[in-house]
Amino acid sequence: MKLFEPAKLGSMAPASKLIIYGLLGLWTFIVLFPLYWLIVTSVKLPIHVADGPVYLPFVDYTPSLHAWRYIFVDLGRDTFRPYLNSVIVAVLSSILAVGAGSMAAYALSRLEFRPRLISIGLFILGVAGTVVAVTLAGVNWRVAAAAGLALTLIVIRAARGVPSPELGNSDILFWMISQRILPPVVAAIPIYVMFQQVGMLDTHFALIVTYTTVNLPIVVWLMYDFFSTVPKDLEESAELDGASRFRVFFEIVLPLAKPGLVATSLLVLILAWNEYLLALFLSTANAQTIPILVAAQNATRGPQWWYMSVLIIIMILPVILLTLLLQRFIAKGLLLGAVKG
Amino acid sequence: MTIELEKVAKSFGPVKVLHELDLKVKPGEFLVLLGASGSGKTTALRMVAGLETVSSGRILIGGRDVTETLPKNRDVAMVFQSYALYPHKTVFDNIGYPLKVRGLDKGQIAARVKEVAEQVQLQAFLDRYPRQLSGGQKQRVALARAIVRRPVAFLMDEPLSNLDAKLRGHMRAELKHMQQELGITTLYVTHDQVEAMTLAHRIALLEGGKLQQLDAPAMIYNDPANLFVAQFIGSPPMNVVTGELTEGKFSARSQAINTKFRRSHKKTVLGVRPEDCSITNAENGKFRANIYATELIGDHVLVTAKTDGELLTIKANKNFSAPMGATIGVDFPEDRLFLFDAETGVRLRA
Repeated sequence: MKLFEPAKLGSMAPASKLIIYGLLGLWTFIVLFPLYWLIVTSVKLPIHVADGPVYLPFVDYTPSLHAWRYIFVDLGRDTFRPYLNSVIVAVLSSILAVGAGSMAAYALSRLEFRPRLISIGLFILGVAGTVVAVTLAGVNWRVAAAAGLALTLIVIRAARGVPSPELGNSDILFWMISQRILPPVVAAIPIYVMFQQVGMLDTHFALIVTYTTVNLPIVVWLMYDFFSTVPKDLEESAELDGASRFRVFFEIVLPLAKPGLVATSLLVLILAWNEYLLALFLSTANAQTIPILVAAQNATRGPQWWYMSVLIIIMILPVILLTLLLQRFIAKGLLLGAVKG
Repeated sequence: MTIELEKVAKSFGPVKVLHELDLKVKPGEFLVLLGASGSGKTTALRMVAGLETVSSGRILIGGRDVTETLPKNRDVAMVFQSYALYPHKTVFDNIGYPLKVRGLDKGQIAARVKEVAEQVQLQAFLDRYPRQLSGGQKQRVALARAIVRRPVAFLMDEPLSNLDAKLRGHMRAELKHMQQELGITTLYVTHDQVEAMTLAHRIALLEGGKLQQLDAPAMIYNDPANLFVAQFIGSPPMNVVTGELTEGKFSARSQAINTKFRRSHKKTVLGVRPEDCSITNAENGKFRANIYATELIGDHVLVTAKTDGELLTIKANKNFSAPMGATIGVDFPEDRLFLFDAETGVRLRA
């Protein structure tokens, strides 16, 4: 047997096989070990954690379900409420973000927008004027907003004849994704102040609105690419078959972009599910989410690794299950044979 | 129903892709828009479908002004070059989609789809997905989807060009038969002159966004309006020789021939079709030429001969053979030659 030559075309030489599978095995270990460590830590007594590492339950130490009992029985409602909060906030914000975002992405991939730079400038001016009127002149904010909006629209309309450079769809797309380039901590304080002003801190609503806004650019960016791969012929054909634009979108385009839709939904769901920073600002008790609860185990009596492990396990479990369930959609090439062939 | 284009024009920015086009497709007529790529034929079709806006002019379908009407409200069916079958729907659902959109109930849809599927011999494939079909079958599904709702007009954008040559010939015959049977007005776009000649009741030949000639296939072939039409139609293309016409005498460099034209014209192009030419001995022909190449096609031999630097093609008897370089005479009946103005391409008439 030759060690460095493959036995036949399309297979690997024994030596390369050994190296590659060795590396893959090592990487698998690196990835899976933290998960293993979580599981064994969740059944350790505090003393087993404190006295240096022990690895194998039943061999190195006697496992105990005390942490699980504490989280599920002693804490009980205090575990389930944040859990339910996380489910509500993550699911609803993902639905909203994917719904609005994919429609925006579709519009950007199919219609041509030519916003004029001068209109954008006037709009910013209008917003600034409104803010000044409210803060410095003490105008009622409802009046200021309505008047500001009306005035801005009138001025923009009046400025139609003024020559101005035009922006295109790609500029809009870039502007959207640029919202994600900003570190979220920059926006966290203004968002906090805003919800404080309207008295909506620590509500599901505040979290859902914030997460939807934060995830929208990602949805638009990803779905734009998926929609661009749907052949235009199909939509034109459907239009001639008598379908309205919405029908074309929901019956032809969306089903064809399903793999992308599933992947995108999963991504924003996980982002919302794991989100920590904004939740820390916006929720205290009622709307507290699971990541906050996990971090809270580090609070008064030093890190409670055993409780944290239990919480992290139940936090990542639904994500793992969902990914396994949906992975067949993500890789599927539905467009095969759409046109020509 | 009629399709009328009244001075329809289209520009993309400064580029004028279609100049004022006037066209009237009669009820039940099969009209072919023929032209090379960039001639504006597809743009014209897409404007009739409503997929492209009209820069100026009016479009009427069945007497109704549809210039500003959405595609879905024009009640025309279109077959795309790519077939544009919905990949996530079965053949049944593909064919039934126009009916579903119109809100027909399931029973009616099933009955109509079955009826149409029978017409195009697709009964056995109704449960399949487009990716499981051959090119010819996909083509049939696209046709079935177009005819299922009995539209006022068919629009076809090179529907046969994705098929291989043999299947194309077969589908051509089927298409012609079906159109005749249904009697639905059809506007058909192609760059293939054979398709145009065989399918059309009338051909509209476009070039550079301008209508060159609108006529029955036989007239387009036998009585071309200009040099472009004469050279576009016919395979191999018409032979042309540039020269000068003086008192009916056409002279090209070293040679001159008499014509029936009783007039003079400075820069003139003489055209004659390869099948009207015959080979004689060097002294008797209208042109004296040297054999450049001979190609056996099967039922005839294609002879290319060189005269004064210009190549002439002659369709000769299948038994013809001659060595390369041999001097021959090229003859043709006087009434089979065409004369055109060399600059404008306009046909000169006697």
